Amino acid sequence: MNIFIPQSWLKDYIETDVSPVELAKKMSAHAFNVERTNEIKGDIVWEAEITTNRSDALSIMGIARELKSLLPKKDYKFKYKESKAQKTSGKDKLEVEIRDKNLVPRFSAIVLDEVQIKESPEWMRDRLEKVGTRPLNNVIDITNYLMFDLGQPMHAFDYDKIKSGKMILRDSRAGEKVITLDGMERELPQGMIVIEDGEGRLIDLCGIMGAKNSEIDENTKKVLLFVQVYDPMKIRRASMTLGHRTEAATRFEKGIDFEGVLPALWKAVEMSQELAGGKISSDLIDIVNIKPRSKEVEIDYEKINLLAGVEIEKSRADEILESLGFEIKGKKAKVPSWRLNDIDIPEDLAEEVIRIYGYHNLPSKLLAGEIPRLQPEKIFYWEGIAKNFLKHNGFFECYNYSASSCNAGENQLELLNPLTEKIACLRVSLIPQLTEVLDKNKGYAEKIKVFELAAVYLPRQNDIPDQPSRLGIAVKGVEYLELKGIIEAMLYNEMNIAQGAVDFEISKGENGYLTAELDFEKISQLANNDKIYIPISQFNSIKEDLTLVVPENVEYPQIKKAILAVDPRIKSLDFKDIYKNALTLSIEYLDRQKQISSDDTQKIRQNIFANLEKDLGVRLKK
Amino acid sequence: MDQSKFENLAKEFMEDLKKVSSLDDLESLRVKYLGKKGILAGLFGEFAQISPEIKKDFGRKLNQLKNNIESKLSELHSEFFAGTEIGVSQFEKTLPGKKPQIGHLHPIITQAIREIVEIFKPLGFTQVRHPEVDWDYFAFESLNMPKTHPARDEWETFFVKAPENKEYGKLVVSPHTSSGQVREMLKNQLPIRMLNISRCGRRQIDVNHIPFFFQFEGLAIDKNLSIANLRGVLDYFAQKFFGPGRKTRLRPFHFRFTEPSFEVDVSCGLCQGAGCRFCKEGWVEIGGAGMVHPNVLKAGKVDPKIYNGFAFGWGVERTYMMKAGLKIDDMRYLGENNLKFLSQF
Repeated sequence: MNIFIPQSWLKDYIETDVSPVELAKKMSAHAFNVERTNEIKGDIVWEAEITTNRSDALSIMGIARELKSLLPKKDYKFKYKESKAQKTSGKDKLEVEIRDKNLVPRFSAIVLDEVQIKESPEWMRDRLEKVGTRPLNNVIDITNYLMFDLGQPMHAFDYDKIKSGKMILRDSRAGEKVITLDGMERELPQGMIVIEDGEGRLIDLCGIMGAKNSEIDENTKKVLLFVQVYDPMKIRRASMTLGHRTEAATRFEKGIDFEGVLPALWKAVEMSQELAGGKISSDLIDIVNIKPRSKEVEIDYEKINLLAGVEIEKSRADEILESLGFEIKGKKAKVPSWRLNDIDIPEDLAEEVIRIYGYHNLPSKLLAGEIPRLQPEKIFYWEGIAKNFLKHNGFFECYNYSASSCNAGENQLELLNPLTEKIACLRVSLIPQLTEVLDKNKGYAEKIKVFELAAVYLPRQNDIPDQPSRLGIAVKGVEYLELKGIIEAMLYNEMNIAQGAVDFEISKGENGYLTAELDFEKISQLANNDKIYIPISQFNSIKEDLTLVVPENVEYPQIKKAILAVDPRIKSLDFKDIYKNALTLSIEYLDRQKQISSDDTQKIRQNIFANLEKDLGVRLKK
Repeated sequence: MDQSKFENLAKEFMEDLKKVSSLDDLESLRVKYLGKKGILAGLFGEFAQISPEIKKDFGRKLNQLKNNIESKLSELHSEFFAGTEIGVSQFEKTLPGKKPQIGHLHPIITQAIREIVEIFKPLGFTQVRHPEVDWDYFAFESLNMPKTHPARDEWETFFVKAPENKEYGKLVVSPHTSSGQVREMLKNQLPIRMLNISRCGRRQIDVNHIPFFFQFEGLAIDKNLSIANLRGVLDYFAQKFFGPGRKTRLRPFHFRFTEPSFEVDVSCGLCQGAGCRFCKEGWVEIGGAGMVHPNVLKAGKVDPKIYNGFAFGWGVERTYMMKAGLKIDDMRYLGENNLKFLSQF
């Protein structure tokens, strides 16, 4: 998530001569990308993207702590001082009942009396505005301020509104309702963390937002300051379910520094005393339910060097880790409390060392080593051939979405969360979208040819769908035989597939559209560059055209077969033209033993006519 | 018919030819001799009726005459366009040629991808394609993102209505090419240099996003690979794809499936990294990269004690648009198949 970092605020924690521009560059290169630098009221405010693993840096103090490792010691001073614990005592009690310890690993609170609710001082309102938050009143502002300052979300209740001074922290029950601070009534599902007071009212939707019934208002006298660590998964689920992503929730769900809880509470007390005149009127409540274990991770210096591709001295590595708050213990590093969620394995430490060392300081080397044996799949090559062929035959290549409407074929797999109805089901054929392309481009030209080469998604039992590559073709204003000829030339000439080995069908659609969908997996299996050499005859062939009259119910393959069967000297037979029922063929005669004569061809021709007439009733056109 | 008849006819033709003074005359002459009802057509008509003994000779002579007439006519025709050696008039020369109709390959799914594949080929990266609709396991879980991990939110994943698989979970439209990483490792052929270019899907549609798009992803698994190697490959790509002098830089980032993780920037083509009005900081972000996380290697049955690796990947569309300096104001054009758009590529 992005956070705002006003330089004036950052100066609370650091002292350096390095200019903000330089600092921002270092931030981006070593830690977090400064995406924008804005100027607000004469202050420089960075907007930086904090990666999801670094909840410790979602605060001004966290950023200052990170910057410490980026600048030479002489240039930088980190001025963070934890607020000290104060003496506590008083008559105000809070009875706390926690139904499930896992819900709230740490629970801390304290009551302040004689609080005066008023507007916050200008410097604080100013800072809140710079980080994008609206100031409300001094106490609420303090809780918000400290979330941005220290990264610890906190809440303040009007103590007198908590009936019987009792809090029961538990899982919500399905259907329970709470009106949150924003005035919205929210119906809760089961399993969100909530707090119930002594009279059974819900007074907090934990980690997301407080309840209206216990909010601080201008008459509030006693304030309960409240700092917690919640089960991150619960907070995440709750905020996702409610669709309500608050600054607090995003921090809670990414994990809170367990050791930061009390210092934050004490700082809140300090500020309340200063800005609202409050006085401590209760004991400190600090319930530790689950204490995170301290963690030591092995520092693998060899791995650091291997990953970096350059030698980083051990002393330098240690120095970097220490500057980030790690404690070096022999070959291990003790992880600081604020990084417990993030650092687990030696690679994690390697990343820390190398990024601070500087990725830009690493060399740039191409790969050495063995070349992998994996051979490229044939299909990519043949896709290229087919696409080029179609392009040179006037086709436009299209790019349609993998999903279409749900009425585009049988057995379409449905998307559970589609964006629109138009893309709600995975496609089982490329044709419906291609015909749509023809529709959309009607006015472009008389003759339009389009294709797409892509996968379709065919459901299978208990497996991912079969995803074969298909070649979809759609044309407008093109004759049947022309399209067929293009497809055949591609398959049988360009791709050298045996004549007739691929079954395809051309369908006629509305508006004279013709479409065809071919199994490209099969095509790429059959396609080849194998050549067979037939010695060139020293004798010449004789070519002639014949025009035949074809009766009904006769098919071309029958004619072709009948002719070729007549004589081995018929070298080739090609379809040339058809007009009504007059079929023109061109025939080539060749005798490999001697020069063929017109007498020879005449005899063969006679036999052809005899054969055709006898078997098929086909005659020469007069 | 005897020999002299052919000779006379030839003479007669030569006389006629001399009288020709215009292209119109020439055409009339052509019709007279070679037209459908012309003199030669008549002779060919006789051919069928003559006796077989002289047929052969007759045919040969007739053809000779025909050829002769054709070539003379053609010669004269050329003379009318004098000074033009190839028989083309000065005007004709200025006309555009008659072009065959040529179509267009899609700028992204073919032109950009081809270029990328060719760049990585000499480095030993082989193009592959992995399922576009895949199990949650390959899209997330095997990439070090357990079922409820918040990192998954970053992908606006499409889920498919289908029974869940006990081992592999839900069926999803693969939101990134990284889903191919573990699948590639499970082929059990080390070392790996993979270039996976596949369609992906995410629930996003606006000026900058289309719901189905292409990503390309490089994955190298070998012994002793380093960030320096990743930089080497990225720099090589930047120079070949964007042009000489272009460089990449790595910035720290976080992905669950790599450790360390980076964002990759390429130096701006206008200011070469100095910073200008177009790029602001001198660098433009193109994608993500990182050293493969040991947990991902384990999921791919690769021993992280012996092998390591790096991966990088990003959108083909955006990269191509950045390169070409094409100011396509709306990504959605890429999937709309408007021929007025496609014909520009």
